[in-house]
Amino acid sequence: MSAASVIPEPKSMTRAKKWSDEVEEAYRFQVAGYKGEAEYIALKGLEVERWPDSGYIKKLTRKDGNFYYYNKDRECPDKDVHQIKIYSYN
Amino acid sequence: MPQNKMTDKAKENNKSLTADAFSVKSRLKNSVVTPPPAAGAFKANPLVKQTSFRKFYNRGDLPIALEHDTKGNKIAWKVEIEKLDYHHYLPMFFDGLRETKHPYGFFARQGVHDMLEHGGNKITSVIPQLIIPIKKALELREAKVLCTTLKVLQHLVVSADLVGEALVPYYRQILPVLNIFISMNCNLGDGIDYGQQRRENVGTLIQETLEAFETYGGQDAFINIKYMVPTYESCRLN
Repeated sequence: MSAASVIPEPKSMTRAKKWSDEVEEAYRFQVAGYKGEAEYIALKGLEVERWPDSGYIKKLTRKDGNFYYYNKDRECPDKDVHQIKIYSYN
Repeated sequence: MPQNKMTDKAKENNKSLTADAFSVKSRLKNSVVTPPPAAGAFKANPLVKQTSFRKFYNRGDLPIALEHDTKGNKIAWKVEIEKLDYHHYLPMFFDGLRETKHPYGFFARQGVHDMLEHGGNKITSVIPQLIIPIKKALELREAKVLCTTLKVLQHLVVSADLVGEALVPYYRQILPVLNIFISMNCNLGDGIDYGQQRRENVGTLIQETLEAFETYGGQDAFINIKYMVPTYESCRLN
């Protein structure tokens, strides 16, 4: 319960229109069931593991304790780009 | 009309005999030798026995979470891949490559992909145990399974150092089937191959796989490949 109060609430949400590195990040978090990096760190308290070359997310822990592994390169297909939510906390 | 009757009569006199090859009957004047039976090199051998992967999946022995709330093509791992015993699990997942039925085929493919991505040096020591599952998968001679196995082999040789060279002694186990299917290409003439991106053409995939073997196999790779697949030409020499 106390952890839930630490999770930052997003102020607004837009849908992504074009692919970019930020959209790829958001895709990887949302596939794992998180809104974004802020929520992941607040819930898990772990640093996100990344690929050394591209800087993309390598591994995430899901809410049920299982692990998701991601590719070195782009994973988000063009057809899913418009479904990705970009949250802003300002 | 009389002429037709004549040819019919002539035909009756010249009735051909079907005969087996290399028999005494085949040496007669009017004998027609029966053609040889099809060897069945391209015939698919369907999966008869249950794979061990399917057995372990149904028992829940695999370290993967089996619920289907995934968005996209991902599997959730119960245990971190870095902590897995590759000697135990990697051959199991490779055995699942023979499966085409959902969800066994999907989990096997994704599982192998993830384990090869994150295996590092652990993979090289497991190579001898992977040869039998790879050979069994290729022996099915089924197009889908062949395509999956070839893509996995391409990933295998780039997954860690020295894997390509570790595979060279096992070429005589895995390359014979590739030799059979290397010319299985589609001649579209000037048509457009709309499915090219899906990488489903067996002949092209075999060519790519052999080139990967040669590139990452070290110095002896080419000669060993040439011994098993004589029509293969080097992509590095000349």
